[in-house]
Amino acid sequence: MKDSFMYPLIFMLIIIVIFVGILAIMYRSSEAKIEAFKRDSYQKMVLRVLSSEIANATGRDAEEVAQDYPASYNEYVKEINKSGLNRRIFASVVDAKVLGYCFEIGGKGLWGTMKALVSTTTDLTTIIDFAIVDQMETPGLGARIEEEWFLSQFRGKIIVQRPDDADDVTIPYEFIAETLSPENDLQLRRVTGATITSDSVLRMLRTEFNYIYSFFRENSL
Amino acid sequence: MSMKDIFITSAFKENSVWRQILGICSALAVTNLMLNSLIMGLGVVFSLALSNMTISIIRDWTPRSIRMMVQTLIIASYVIMVDIFLKAYMPEISKQLGPYVGLIITNCILMGRAEAFASQNKPFDSLIDGVGAGVGYTIVLLLISFVRELFGFGSVFGFRVMGTWWTNWSIMVMAPSAFFLLALLIWFLNVRFYTVKG
Repeated sequence: MKDSFMYPLIFMLIIIVIFVGILAIMYRSSEAKIEAFKRDSYQKMVLRVLSSEIANATGRDAEEVAQDYPASYNEYVKEINKSGLNRRIFASVVDAKVLGYCFEIGGKGLWGTMKALVSTTTDLTTIIDFAIVDQMETPGLGARIEEEWFLSQFRGKIIVQRPDDADDVTIPYEFIAETLSPENDLQLRRVTGATITSDSVLRMLRTEFNYIYSFFRENSL
Repeated sequence: MSMKDIFITSAFKENSVWRQILGICSALAVTNLMLNSLIMGLGVVFSLALSNMTISIIRDWTPRSIRMMVQTLIIASYVIMVDIFLKAYMPEISKQLGPYVGLIITNCILMGRAEAFASQNKPFDSLIDGVGAGVGYTIVLLLISFVRELFGFGSVFGFRVMGTWWTNWSIMVMAPSAFFLLALLIWFLNVRFYTVKG
């Protein structure tokens, strides 16, 4: 019987139905948990990059605001739908006043794409906070772009200062070695052993700010 | 062979990594941190043991012409179960392991044990063989990741053991270090425990 033409087909079909069925049941029963974790992680990150402005306006501590999820997120963060931009945008709103915006931006790293959240002042010229959502860089080297010392360098940096330049409105920051101390405001410390990844982060920020800024020059936010 | 003999043979005497040079890709990829290696190892033990047992249970009904397709399907199903479990209950570790859990499907050890042992032996023996081969693989991952994490990050299982004086060795967190550590391990074990019969 095993040598017949139909037997292998029927056997394979039965095996597929059994295993795919088990996997479907298992996935369905875990789907809500997986999606909830993804959504919560993302929203916590959005709240964190907007927390300093919310804290200033409400008189609370920024860390306390960031930890107060989901209450603070539901109260102060609003997602904005802007057709044509193709980026997720969030605004921090306290007493009906917009304090800052958060954009989801993306770019290419050394090994793959990376995704980040950057919060800005309402005029879109200054970075309030910056966080990496997703990256595929080398663990221990390029992946260190998620470390606090690296990300904190971007806080408070003016990124748009040449609004009349049609090609590039951003400031050309430059990297110096991780072990050195910046001598001026235009210098940032790169991750040792991850020159391409560090450069990719800066390129992503400048490219995305050029795109976002030029978009909102023609469209109101 | 007794259960103990099956386990010892598949885990140590005929270890998939240092004797058969199988499963090398993932051994190189996930061994920069011990926790990642442990979770990866447990994923392989689970997938290997259950896929071996299932393949053995249905071996008398499996047509020879499609046996490898059936084996791949069964292995893939168990690996996806591990992946779903990690995503739902250990999301942080799932994120760190990235695509490597899914790549257990392509781990040669699983197909190797399915073809060499499970398709010719009883279900419980196959289960033990799978556990043994998985444990042997996990031991290799942990040995390599111990050295890499200690010198690359100054920590063991995430706990800092080196003082502030310690400078991390960048080479240890990059893939090349896994190449030469694995080569050293294979060389040492073969010289120490195995002799070529003349």
